[in-house]
Amino acid sequence: MGKVIVVTSGKGGVGKTTSTANLGTALALLGKTVVVVDADVGLRNLDIVMGLESRIVYTSMDVIEKQCELGKALVKDRRVDGLTLLAASQKNNKDDIQPEQMKAICDKLKASHDFVLIDSPAGIERGFINASAGADEAIIVTTPDVSAIRDADRIIGLLQHAGIEPINLVLNRFSPQLVGNGSMMDQEDVLDILNIDLIGIVPEDTGVITSTNRGIPLVYEDASPGSQAYMRIARRLTGQRIPIPDLEQKGFLSNIVNWFTRNR
Amino acid sequence: MANSIVAIRAYRDGLHLIIRPHLSIAEVEEAIQQEMSRMNQPLVGASVQIDLKCPLLKAEEMAYLKSKLQETYNLTVRSIEAFDEQAPPPIAAAPTTHALPQRTEMPNNSRDSEPSRIIPYTIRSGQTEDFPQGSLIIYGDVNSGAEVRAGGDIVVLGALRGNAHAGINGRLSAVVIAMDLVPVQLQIGNFISRRPINQKPRGYPEIARIGVEDVIIVEKFVKF
Ligand SMILES: Nc1ncnc2c1ncn2[C@@H]1O[C@H](COP(=O)(O)OP(=O)(O)OP(=O)(O)O)[C@@H](O)[C@H]1O
Ligand SMILES: [Mg+2]
Repeated sequence: MGKVIVVTSGKGGVGKTTSTANLGTALALLGKTVVVVDADVGLRNLDIVMGLESRIVYTSMDVIEKQCELGKALVKDRRVDGLTLLAASQKNNKDDIQPEQMKAICDKLKASHDFVLIDSPAGIERGFINASAGADEAIIVTTPDVSAIRDADRIIGLLQHAGIEPINLVLNRFSPQLVGNGSMMDQEDVLDILNIDLIGIVPEDTGVITSTNRGIPLVYEDASPGSQAYMRIARRLTGQRIPIPDLEQKGFLSNIVNWFTRNR
Repeated sequence: MANSIVAIRAYRDGLHLIIRPHLSIAEVEEAIQQEMSRMNQPLVGASVQIDLKCPLLKAEEMAYLKSKLQETYNLTVRSIEAFDEQAPPPIAAAPTTHALPQRTEMPNNSRDSEPSRIIPYTIRSGQTEDFPQGSLIIYGDVNSGAEVRAGGDIVVLGALRGNAHAGINGRLSAVVIAMDLVPVQLQIGNFISRRPINQKPRGYPEIARIGVEDVIIVEKFVKF
């Protein structure tokens, strides 16, 4: 029996879809069986980021309407073993699906996969409720800005109320340089407010945009800092204890400065 | 806790000692002593103006007070000013707790006799806590986008970043205390104050209450 993890944020555009695609792929690269589920009915794009757009035949809507078997709706990613996508219907809207129907799908999927990652839409309305209906755990994605953090806080409250535990934090688009010169909140500030466990920090990485456009998740490229960050988060999700590196922790520059001052 | 009889304030023209209605000169003396002990630094050798926001003191009372201030605290009285208490207060809708009649009503409407509610967790954005019956004590933070309201005081054993309203039934002696007092909006009774842009936590607990000038003042919290 695997587990269902909803990837959510409250605020839009902070990197839920990017994180779902990369963590799903990374977990499969680590040998896990994974299904990534697009819960953004009507505004789907997990398929594009995964590069599986052209291969979709059925969606979760078809499964709910009993047009096809769940197994048949799963699109296999040919680049790595054990990774499939369950797409969302683009023609429908979020009210066309009931939370219980989502939960039923999640329950079935986790019986046969190690990880079920749900890409939640932004907001706190029906789409979010559907996305988290079958979730055992949650990953909150936030960027280090006050409005994203306030929305994340709202979502955490709702998830806690629903008994979803643990709730882990991914701090995305982090820029050590901006933190260094005082124009970005550092991770201490963010954690101080949200008070949940940090599972990883993903740096601002231009590679994300090119990888999105090419439909090849960043984690296939070993060298990119974003890729490495997602790989580490995936390892942590599998239970490995990997410290959050100093580069993420204090900013690369300040470490160099510290090193110099310490050795003088 | 600041007392309701005496307040010491620093204005542009120097220190003022404000005296409000009281029962006896002994009460004033005690209140001065309390107020002085709350200070972080002693006011040695300063000169003060006395603002009488109470009925005029008798000549011998005044003389006694002056000599007491000089002897005990080395404070010189540079002037005395009387404020006409007969005139209506500037904000008529906002009665102050400083006036005598109200103080005598206080016992059945005070901290000692009313319940408090303890919230053992952080209150997050979109969540609210309402407790008109008494005071709220929060073992956690009140985050931006959250709201807490109490008939009495609000004590946050964490950071107050959201909205807080103490004394919602109009009690102007209500206070708000937080380890990090950086609310978006703070209300006591019908008084309101907004957070200055970019206010950073100060790193020590603070208390907000209604001061003599009928505005919400915030100062370092030392003890009740
Ligand atoms: N670490 C990063 N570095 C640079 N760009 C990023 C990073 N993460 C995300 N982005 C960019 O931010 C944009 C939004 O990302 P994404 O679509 O993953 O967000 P989302 O939370 O799923 O949005 P929505 O709420 O619309 O579903 C994309 O253009 C993506 O390329
Ligand atoms: Mg998305």
